[in-house]
Amino acid sequence: MIDPSLGLPTISMAVPMPGFPAHREFVLVRLNEDGLLYAFTSIQDPELRFLVAPPEPFFPDYAPEIENEVFSALNTRDTDRLLLLTVITAGVEETTANLLAPIVVDRDSMRAMQVVLSGSGYPVRAIMHRAY
Amino acid sequence: MLVLTRRAGESVMIGNDVIITVLEARGDVIRLGIQAPRDVQVHREEVFRELQAANREAASPTEDAVRAVTEMLQTSEE
Repeated sequence: MIDPSLGLPTISMAVPMPGFPAHREFVLVRLNEDGLLYAFTSIQDPELRFLVAPPEPFFPDYAPEIENEVFSALNTRDTDRLLLLTVITAGVEETTANLLAPIVVDRDSMRAMQVVLSGSGYPVRAIMHRAY
Repeated sequence: MLVLTRRAGESVMIGNDVIITVLEARGDVIRLGIQAPRDVQVHREEVFRELQAANREAASPTEDAVRAVTEMLQTSEE
């Protein structure tokens, strides 16, 4: 459970995540000291959380192209301030990462959305291996 | 379901600000142009459904699953 008094900055979804239309505000809770794993946790319902991770350490070749429409939806001024997070499906047997639809967070506006990289060919379930 | 007939170059409007234009029809392939406000996401239906299913599957993992992922990350430091 997340105590709102943790004082984590609120991230507002510019567009709700598919499947979760009612959840518009989240906080990013760090689960790992190295910053490799976070819980993207709904403020409305702290029981709802997604494991997310920066893709670089796991998928070094992953270089998604983000379209201008995303920048305007997030009120992005500086693209260097964008944070890319991949949604992880955790399984005891196998863990996968959604490379087709990363969550993009603008750290200045604190707006976010799950961006579908149409036509990129990236998989929804890429098997995750140890970080490099 | 509302059924309308449109020719290439003609449009339909949904609400006040979504415009769908038939750009080209060739056999059973229809190309559509969609104008929508930026907070209206437009997806191919099958992609949206797959994403919805993937998100639901990813949501609220069990403690065991979280532990498995954390362990996977820690082993990487060795």
